[in-house]
Amino acid sequence: MSRSLGGAAVVGIGRSPFVRSSGRTTLSMAAQAAREALADCGLTAADVDGFTCYSTGDSAGPSQVAHAIGVDDLGWSLSVLGGGNIVTSTVAGAATAVLSGQAEVVVVYRVLGAQTRYGRALERVEVDGEGQFAGPHGYLVPPQWFAMFCRRHQYEYGSTAADLGAIAVQERDHAVRNPHAVARSPITLDDYLNSRWISEPFRLFDCCYEIDGAVAIVVTSAERAADLPHRPVHLLGAADSNRFGGSVDQWDDLSCMYSRDTAPRLWSRTGLQPADIDVACMYDCFTFTVMATFEDFGFCAKGEVGDYFRAGRATYGGDVVVNPHGGLLSEGYIHGLNHHYEAVLQLRGDAGDRQVSGAETALVTSGAGPFGGALVYGTVAP
Amino acid sequence: MTTTHEQSPAVRADPLSLPPQPVPDAVTAPFWAALAEGRLAMCRCGDCGLWLQPPLERCRRCAGPTRFADVAGTGTVYSFIVQHRATVPGYLDDLPYVVALVELDEQTGLRLPARIVGIDPAEVRCGLRVRAEFTELPGGDFTVAVFRPVDGP
Repeated sequence: MSRSLGGAAVVGIGRSPFVRSSGRTTLSMAAQAAREALADCGLTAADVDGFTCYSTGDSAGPSQVAHAIGVDDLGWSLSVLGGGNIVTSTVAGAATAVLSGQAEVVVVYRVLGAQTRYGRALERVEVDGEGQFAGPHGYLVPPQWFAMFCRRHQYEYGSTAADLGAIAVQERDHAVRNPHAVARSPITLDDYLNSRWISEPFRLFDCCYEIDGAVAIVVTSAERAADLPHRPVHLLGAADSNRFGGSVDQWDDLSCMYSRDTAPRLWSRTGLQPADIDVACMYDCFTFTVMATFEDFGFCAKGEVGDYFRAGRATYGGDVVVNPHGGLLSEGYIHGLNHHYEAVLQLRGDAGDRQVSGAETALVTSGAGPFGGALVYGTVAP
Repeated sequence: MTTTHEQSPAVRADPLSLPPQPVPDAVTAPFWAALAEGRLAMCRCGDCGLWLQPPLERCRRCAGPTRFADVAGTGTVYSFIVQHRATVPGYLDDLPYVVALVELDEQTGLRLPARIVGIDPAEVRCGLRVRAEFTELPGGDFTVAVFRPVDGP
């Protein structure tokens, strides 16, 4: 366990309302989530000496948010450029800051406002960087990239629309019991199959629900956590993988994702395996992201995810509960930090109607395509 | 990475109608210059011969100097999508249109994203053999390579 993150814990969680259109600034929403996370663990702004967030240059920064909630002198501030791919590194980075003594109490947040909608780029006039090769062909946004992955998986392994639908339907079923979710009306497989094409083979219900909102979590040492009100949720280990410079077009095997390389690294660092996981918050920008990463993490063989979900193995009473909150598909897209919120809630035993009975370990994945990471939380320190 | 610029009214009466225009840089400019001459050229290491996409100033394997070299323009559809919704500007009259990752014959894994033309979208398959042809990019000064199915290997 020499390379685990043992000794760090998440002690507080907070969030703003998740809505389609808030009319609020990113600073307002991030400050609300940070205040709520601190109140949740009985701390105040005076206790906080670290702040970090990840973004694609679209949000208020750590020093602004810290100032807005009353932190006068921030000792550690780190703004990370990235999206779903960088969530694990950001949370693990906060834990590392705590373990190395750079900070004692760190707030990690992600906020998304109206200016950020990744699924469309209708205002785009010019493209530079790698996008200059794709954009002129009308190929520029994530639903297109991961539909490209999905098609290759269908070609190699015979996965089907019904397999993707099984994921979409079940995540929505879970969201029905989550009052914070933006999409809570149950859907059937027929609803899924009849939803409109976006980027074939993706339909509307393959795509996450982009919204406004913020999530914040508070990371501190296990020692400090022992004096705080909630049962601490310990970080057991984390791993990332980044290949091909993040190029979705050049990534060598579109039937799998970063998780091909992250998974063995994570299981090795934690000494755990899929059978040890009670709750899996799988990053689900799209249904296919769940399919590819679920296979890569070893929950089932290639091409078997549809059967796995249809057999009830990915829900209550099965092998592992996947996205009990409804995920990015149905709770809403807060770029994967809402998965961390849900994992903490479940491991505390505070998830109410959707509590996974006896949950002691949670896998939280982040990212898609050529880069991403994953982290395991547990109720017992490693 | 991508950028958004102020719309130039002279060029862009209706921004939705035109696809995003490329912004060549010091490394990618020869790619676009070759297309303007009706050639498809890709970045290649002058020392070890590795093809590099996206292009680099120096080879990522041996750090040798790179140059652009013509490719045959033939390849295979590695994967593809059929775009039904207007999520990116341009080609709105062509919906649904097909975009593929074309794996070029020169090197395993050397791919270009490109529109596939001359075939019913429902007929496109992974493994389809295709050949580049050149067409003006609507709205600007650029030529792009699109791909059309060919018979045989």
